[in-house]
Amino acid sequence: MIDLAKKIEAPATIDITAYAGATEAIRAEAAKLLTEGAVAAVIGYIPGRRNGTAIPAIVTSPEKAQELIFSPACVNNLALYLTRAKKEVKGKGRLAVVAKGCDMRALAGLMGESQLKREDVVIIGVACAGVYGSGADRDAPLAEKNIARKCRECRVHAPEGADVVAGSLPPLPEFSPVEAEELARLEAMTPAARWAFWKEHFSRCIRCMACRSLCPFCYCEQCICDRNRPQAVEATPRPAGNMAWHIVRAMHLAGRCAGCAECERACPMDIPLNLLNRKMARELKELYGHEAGLEPKEKGPLNEYREDDDQSFIK
Amino acid sequence: MHAAHKNHDFEPKIAAFVCTWCTYAGADLAGTSRMQYPPNVRVLKFPCTGRIDPVFILRAFQKGADGVLVSGCHPGDCHYMAGNFHARRRFAAFRQLLDFVGVDLNRLQFSWVSAAEGGKWVEVVTGLTERVRSMGPMREFKELELEEQWSGKVDTPELQEAYEAIS
Repeated sequence: MIDLAKKIEAPATIDITAYAGATEAIRAEAAKLLTEGAVAAVIGYIPGRRNGTAIPAIVTSPEKAQELIFSPACVNNLALYLTRAKKEVKGKGRLAVVAKGCDMRALAGLMGESQLKREDVVIIGVACAGVYGSGADRDAPLAEKNIARKCRECRVHAPEGADVVAGSLPPLPEFSPVEAEELARLEAMTPAARWAFWKEHFSRCIRCMACRSLCPFCYCEQCICDRNRPQAVEATPRPAGNMAWHIVRAMHLAGRCAGCAECERACPMDIPLNLLNRKMARELKELYGHEAGLEPKEKGPLNEYREDDDQSFIK
Repeated sequence: MHAAHKNHDFEPKIAAFVCTWCTYAGADLAGTSRMQYPPNVRVLKFPCTGRIDPVFILRAFQKGADGVLVSGCHPGDCHYMAGNFHARRRFAAFRQLLDFVGVDLNRLQFSWVSAAEGGKWVEVVTGLTERVRSMGPMREFKELELEEQWSGKVDTPELQEAYEAIS
């Protein structure tokens, strides 16, 4: 069923020596900020216990800052740690955050939604050529085979609007847009076939809520899906409730999702969640010319209106 | 009393989410004017179309509706100034999402019916009921509702063996 990770032969590898430069720059900048006392903590990545992994870390001393790294294993979107959902981090004071181009879009979205003030955060942007996909072979060099699907179509390799940009971009090979092709394939199907596709995917969902926990935009104090009396969405992992949860999730992220694809990466059941997000993003762009995460905008496409909006569907 | 009463094999259930200021009054007008319209429609009154969450539509389908109608004031007539403008955008997005997930959009109708349009209410309800009737019952959500995540087989030999091993 999952033919998403199509294998393509052309061995175009990305030269990741540039990432070492980014590591150096991040360490220097983090140490500088912490020594000056300009920030209370730096949110970045440190090496994980296993080889070729990285984990998010909150660094508070200049010495510790020397452990920070940037590598293709730095997959997490650290914008998450600046949301209301992570109060314990946000309460520390002014923060610096390491952000890839895609994470910058989430940061812009959070600023637009008044979750974050630009002056409260120092953004250490990273020139990122791509990161590993979930479950990818991390021993092999970063190439078509093990790069994340979102990185194949990335348009924000160089972060814009960051305070500092760490590293430089290596030459980037052209990858085929797997996700866009998949989206086009789905759209060409009949509704019944699409229903079968999603039913099959959603039925696997175990409702671990990893997609919600990782999403920088799922910062509601209480999620509508956790509420009972009245219950809006069934909480047990049955197919009916799963379908409702994923529809509600896509709807609540419509026009806000910046496309970091963390939900899809974190999904233990490999549900192609980013397809839903991308579909909604594209519809809203077509309908209202809105693209999430390009700049902090106070109002999203579903919070504002124009009197001459299209109403051809209303009869 | 009414000559043209016909028995159908399938009577669809239609959930109508209406705004209290326009469509509900419009439906009321249809009633007080003694206009005939199919009894398949269940009217749910809301303060405004802006109050109608997409979750309600989803829930209606899950709980057995074969068709859903959402109806409110014409643009510019909203009692709360802009509720229906917001709703219009939300539903434009939501119907695209439902379409992408594989729901037939013919089962879902959005309308503007004002308090003076009793005739239009009858027209909209009749049209939707007949359309859904010809499409047959909404199976997808109902089947999903009956499905269990796990096969639910509790009488496999392995389980039986494990059960017997307990006592």
